[in-house]
Amino acid sequence: MNARAVAAWSATCLVIALSTANPVYKSLVLAAALTTLAAGASLRRIRGLLMAVILIAAFTTLLNFISAHLGATVLFELPPQIPALGGPYTLEAAAFGFTGGITIAAAILSAAAFSLLLASHEVVDALPSGLSRTGTAIAASLNLVPAVASSFIQVTEAQRLRGWRPRGPRSWSEIVVPVVLTSIEASIQLAESMEARGFGSGPRTTAEPTRMRRSDWLMVAAAALALALFAISRAAGWAADWLPYPRLTAPPIDLRPLVACVPLFTPALLWRLGR
Amino acid sequence: MAIGTIAGLSYWYPGSAEPALREVSTDLLDGLTVVAGPSGGGKSTFLRVLNGLVPHFHGGSIAGRAWVLGSNIVETPTRNLARSVGFVFQDPELQTVYNTVDREVAFGLENVGVPTRLIAGQVQEALRVAGILHLAGRTVRTLSGGERQRVALASSLAMTPRLVVLDEPTSQLDPDGASLLLAAAARLVDEGRAVIVSEHRLDRLLKLATALLLIEGGRVERADPASWRPSSTASTPARRASSGSEMWSLDGVTAGFNGQPVIEDAHLAGRSGEVVVLNGPNGGGKTTLLRLIAGSLAPLAGTVRRRPGRIAYLPQNPTALLHRPTLRAEVKLTLERSGDRERPEEILDALGLLHVADRYPRDLSTGERQRAALAAVLPGSPALVLLDEPTRGMDVAARDALVGLVTRLRGRGAAIVLATHDSDLTLALADRIAHVASGRVRETPVAAVQK
Repeated sequence: MNARAVAAWSATCLVIALSTANPVYKSLVLAAALTTLAAGASLRRIRGLLMAVILIAAFTTLLNFISAHLGATVLFELPPQIPALGGPYTLEAAAFGFTGGITIAAAILSAAAFSLLLASHEVVDALPSGLSRTGTAIAASLNLVPAVASSFIQVTEAQRLRGWRPRGPRSWSEIVVPVVLTSIEASIQLAESMEARGFGSGPRTTAEPTRMRRSDWLMVAAAALALALFAISRAAGWAADWLPYPRLTAPPIDLRPLVACVPLFTPALLWRLGR
Repeated sequence: MAIGTIAGLSYWYPGSAEPALREVSTDLLDGLTVVAGPSGGGKSTFLRVLNGLVPHFHGGSIAGRAWVLGSNIVETPTRNLARSVGFVFQDPELQTVYNTVDREVAFGLENVGVPTRLIAGQVQEALRVAGILHLAGRTVRTLSGGERQRVALASSLAMTPRLVVLDEPTSQLDPDGASLLLAAAARLVDEGRAVIVSEHRLDRLLKLATALLLIEGGRVERADPASWRPSSTASTPARRASSGSEMWSLDGVTAGFNGQPVIEDAHLAGRSGEVVVLNGPNGGGKTTLLRLIAGSLAPLAGTVRRRPGRIAYLPQNPTALLHRPTLRAEVKLTLERSGDRERPEEILDALGLLHVADRYPRDLSTGERQRAALAAVLPGSPALVLLDEPTRGMDVAARDALVGLVTRLRGRGAAIVLATHDSDLTLALADRIAHVASGRVRETPVAAVQK
């Protein structure tokens, strides 16, 4: 899959998810992103990301629930004397927080396609030549992430066996300092290796120039179609926004914006057909 | 034929009053040149002069002249020398830019603007010369350390350099991986390239070498590779202490990650006053076994038993431990925590590190850092000692010092487990040997290894 096609699809997902306050259309974008990732990468590879997204969405919901104190459907109340937490806890606040959680999840999963579905060189190849060197440097630094993660585990284990115990924020310096220093040293070694292979010596070429195949054009066309249909739906008032306040109601649903989101499932379909 | 000349070259790292290289004058010749000498003597710095990483990447100040393949090193940036001087570093994990083999090998060619239509052919040729054509198309992270290091070699060969420099390229490889890499390096000489390699495993290389440079204290001397032998005493089998009660045991243990077993149905035990050596290829499961014994990793099945007592654990990347302002402070920290009444200077002296006791540990050379990490975990009287590749990057003298230290700990009744590829260390210390490969653990008689 071509990185430029993935970029077009990701951007469309992001625009639709962020341009509406209606959780139904946001959920459809989330479903498209999820099915695409599941089709292109194994469930084992995306399991960690899914866990993180679920946690972030749950946190967003909880944060709004305990801080908003707005809405008519009161579930319970805490004495108003309690700073920040005191006041009514409402179904509407929870629903609004949940919508925020869906937005964040849809945005993260749409953008995650870059790291999960593409190799680092595919992303670099798709960049305009002016950004090629920056992109290569970023791709190289991303390769260090697993090394840093494993160094964190190693340092924690070794320092524990050396008698370290977590006792307040200061004690973590014994873990954080070596991990940070190791990461910096790893970056320097990588930079040395890149310099030794002529990085920065002049204009770069690429081993595999980016080529758009038919499936890539199909993906771009699907993204463009989804964007156009959703924009029309918004302009015509068919894709109405929704607010749970003051009293929770069901979000308005119109068939036309729903249909507009359907082309976002194209990459998942292409992936399945391509196997 | 001389491919380079270095004349009166001295080099100071930024902020250092002492030069890392002192008045170096030597010719660089065609063929295979071996660079040897103790850890911290200046080998890596010298090699980095050859492609201009010193001084252009590292900064500092330089005096004297250095010409390599017609380029003035002091005036030519590394990136412009990349076409004529290839460089392979120690750690295969920290020199990978892309995540597929072909693109990784093509990286240098892209940087110097080789036309796209020529890149694939040059990549294939580099893979062939490095002996890894079969790895084309593979994902880099799925390769073993030895394979990754040969990918690094191919990456530098792709630019068809006239000189290839290898800085301790086998220090992290198992014997098979090391053999393949050194064989590939030797083939380069046959193909008309000059190769300069710094190594601690010298036996085979010296037979092929046309020149030998000895570097110690920043000074470089020439020697005859046919007659020169390391001055340090060879490791001799140490006295076997009588072993005591069982200290740890694995009974039918299966362990792994994400449900994938790395170790299967392992049965093994160790006693106090006994050294058990784990050997086997990279990725075979040695580190997992050490982590199981240490209690850092829970088994998926089976039972791990361990008698109470202090554990001294040296991880695979030991320098990651170092974070105190001085090496003495690192040792002190461990002694304070363990309550052992021992002076930090004792272990520093035993490992030949007294002269750097007040230096910042991360400023030391690779071999010295390895010993510094050992000093940080081993002082006092630990009950269980677990060392993962403890001789990585060590010269013979440092290895002998380690043998002495481990022998002393064994004499004090510690149960010791070493995961190592180092056959000399194994011969010097092993009371028992367990071969760990493909997740299986099998005891091997020590006598079989001695043969």
